[in-house]
Amino acid sequence: MRRLVLWMVALALALPVVAGTGWAQDIKLGSLNDLTGPTSDVGKDIALGIREAVQYVNDTGGINGKRIRLYLYDYGYRVPEAITTYKRFRDFDKVAGVLGWGTGDTEALSPTVGRDRIPYLSHSFAAKLTDPKTAPYNFVYGTDYSSNARAAMTVWFDEVWMKDPRFREARSKGEKPRVVMFYGFPTPYASAPIKALKNHAELLGFEVGPDQDVSLVALDTKSQVLTAKGFRPHLAWHGNTTMSVAATIKDAQALGLGADHIVNNWGFDEGLVRLAGPAAEGVMGLAVTAYYGDKVPLMDKVVEYAKKLNPGVAQEARLIRTVQSWAQVLMMAEGMRRADKAGKLTGPGLKEAFETLRGWTPGLGLPPVTLTATDHRTGSVIPVYRIKGGKFELVKQVDLKARWAKEWDGEWFGY
Amino acid sequence: MYLPSGVYHETYAATHAWWQTGFVRGKMALLLLFVFTLPLYANLYVVSVANITLYTILGALGVQLLIGYCGQITFGHAAFIAVGAYTTAMGVLFWGLPYPVAAVLGCLLAGLWSVVFGLPSARIKGFYQIMTTMAAQFITVDFIITHYVSRVGGREHYFSLPPGTITIAGWPVDSEIEVYYLAVILTILCLAGMANLLRTRVGRAWIAIRDNDIAAETMGLNVVYYKLLAFFAAGVLAGVAGAVWIPSLLFVSPEHFQLSWGLWLVGVILIGGIGSLHGVVFGSIFVTGILELLKFAIIPLSEFYPALSERFLYVKEAAFGLAIVLFLLYEPRGLAYRWQQIKNYLNLWPFAY
Repeated sequence: MRRLVLWMVALALALPVVAGTGWAQDIKLGSLNDLTGPTSDVGKDIALGIREAVQYVNDTGGINGKRIRLYLYDYGYRVPEAITTYKRFRDFDKVAGVLGWGTGDTEALSPTVGRDRIPYLSHSFAAKLTDPKTAPYNFVYGTDYSSNARAAMTVWFDEVWMKDPRFREARSKGEKPRVVMFYGFPTPYASAPIKALKNHAELLGFEVGPDQDVSLVALDTKSQVLTAKGFRPHLAWHGNTTMSVAATIKDAQALGLGADHIVNNWGFDEGLVRLAGPAAEGVMGLAVTAYYGDKVPLMDKVVEYAKKLNPGVAQEARLIRTVQSWAQVLMMAEGMRRADKAGKLTGPGLKEAFETLRGWTPGLGLPPVTLTATDHRTGSVIPVYRIKGGKFELVKQVDLKARWAKEWDGEWFGY
Repeated sequence: MYLPSGVYHETYAATHAWWQTGFVRGKMALLLLFVFTLPLYANLYVVSVANITLYTILGALGVQLLIGYCGQITFGHAAFIAVGAYTTAMGVLFWGLPYPVAAVLGCLLAGLWSVVFGLPSARIKGFYQIMTTMAAQFITVDFIITHYVSRVGGREHYFSLPPGTITIAGWPVDSEIEVYYLAVILTILCLAGMANLLRTRVGRAWIAIRDNDIAAETMGLNVVYYKLLAFFAAGVLAGVAGAVWIPSLLFVSPEHFQLSWGLWLVGVILIGGIGSLHGVVFGSIFVTGILELLKFAIIPLSEFYPALSERFLYVKEAAFGLAIVLFLLYEPRGLAYRWQQIKNYLNLWPFAY
């Protein structure tokens, strides 16, 4: 028995050696993910999506005939492990680029990847990562948190505050709209857009209430909601991830906070509808791509590969995060294709290739991506969604650059 | 203690020497040679794993001092590392201090800060002390650093140091190899300092308090004074760890010093062996090394068995917990004791009777 098990293990280990032939040349791609740590609630779906998307890229011709080899690893949101894993990718696996995960690894490694000249395409959209002067090798595939927050606030102001009859009386009395912000102070993702949001509140003439610290793992937020209620807000910003946003929205409904909600993109997915139920009705928020199963180009492939490669995962359990990781992988693949065509599939070559993207989109509802050597913000057109009947519907797209051209290129850049 | 026949000490100093035979001296010289030449033949990945190991050693050393030598349970050691790291970073970034000066300042502040949270130990011990040290974690990192310190200079929740700002006497410290030498030298100094400190009056007083604080007091020891001294020393060691963390990343954020890191360090000494300096080193190598070895097994295989990297990896988290449980059950004195056993076996081989 024991011998049999040993043989099976040996065979399993030897299989890769036998199977690993047949492709002319491989391009290595590292991916840092969180499957076990505090952000694993969305991280798991991301990891599944990345593997499916890489398989799709390889099935459709790879990178000009070369196959992508994916090295995906869980770092459990522990920064020391993210560092050693990244360095393993750099020195041992010799990857061409890295798909990053959250703010924990991305911002911590930002100075390092800049020095090593390895492009780092992350799921963290902190605005600081979009300034090539401070983070030359960091890239994002969607609009940054600060622009998102500005867009959501603008849409609520235009579409709800100025139009909704609920606020007619307040408007006629010349009241200012009041906003309060719920987010995890110690979490870089959550606190990243706050400065921009406050600046924007001033711009639109909001009154800003006391910030409420809600932990990413909070299940009970009653004391924060009650404190916020004393300020009688019209609008609440939620900067956390799905779990604690759902808890806050439910508590807000139970305690009669009476404010509308806008949610940043990592808190606004199918999970929110499931967790918050009727309390999620009418909540507005940001989304990087279309939702899983929406009718947009390429979505059929996303669903097909999800069913094919991970049949054990229920379709209802798949989230927008799968679609996001497809966008991330496809942007990386597009950069690699361009770099490869130019004959420079190296770190600096890949960076230059990314910076040639002009209005590129793979479909999937990803707004067109334009990157230049001086600006790594992907674009200024930002769609804002609303939950209606448990489904997501587009409220409006705002073009921040068209409306505030001077600020967009000036003081808003990089924060 | 094992000593081969034919070795006679003629002075008291010789009987107290750390390395008593030529063989041991040769062994240690080889070890030092290996440690100092490692970057010449190891690639940068290995060096960076070594750096994380050294950072873990420096962090766990303070935990070992408190738990293993003075019997004061601490779960909030990450807080004192954070104080050291933040003071160093701010000294360099805002006050324009040279890195060594800022680091020394960081160590002192971490030590004093640790004394503040050591004060309750005058009255309480055991489970209650776990609570107060956890309070240190929440007050320091989640409250003071996150809400106030991080906002200094309008940088929002983290400090990023421009490359080249960390220099020691004009030498920039910003690549893995330079950080490695800095960390190695500091680790050796701290280990040697601790080893010697434990043989002084202070160290013996700590051990007496650990073994029985009432007995120690009846013997005339000022228990509170020595406990606070232990907290100060542990805080200083945490400050050293924090100062090493800064050049290795050029970046510091409250997320690096969560409660889980303090617990991780306690796990390190449980696995390595409580009350042993060898244990700190072995424990750190073990927990860092195991995670890296798992990568070697899983990353190449995950290409063919994707489930390995997406589902099987929970095993990694479980493995750390399981390792602690197994060590407590089967090797309660940790890796250090096993090392001693192996050495004894080899020393007596082949006539181990």
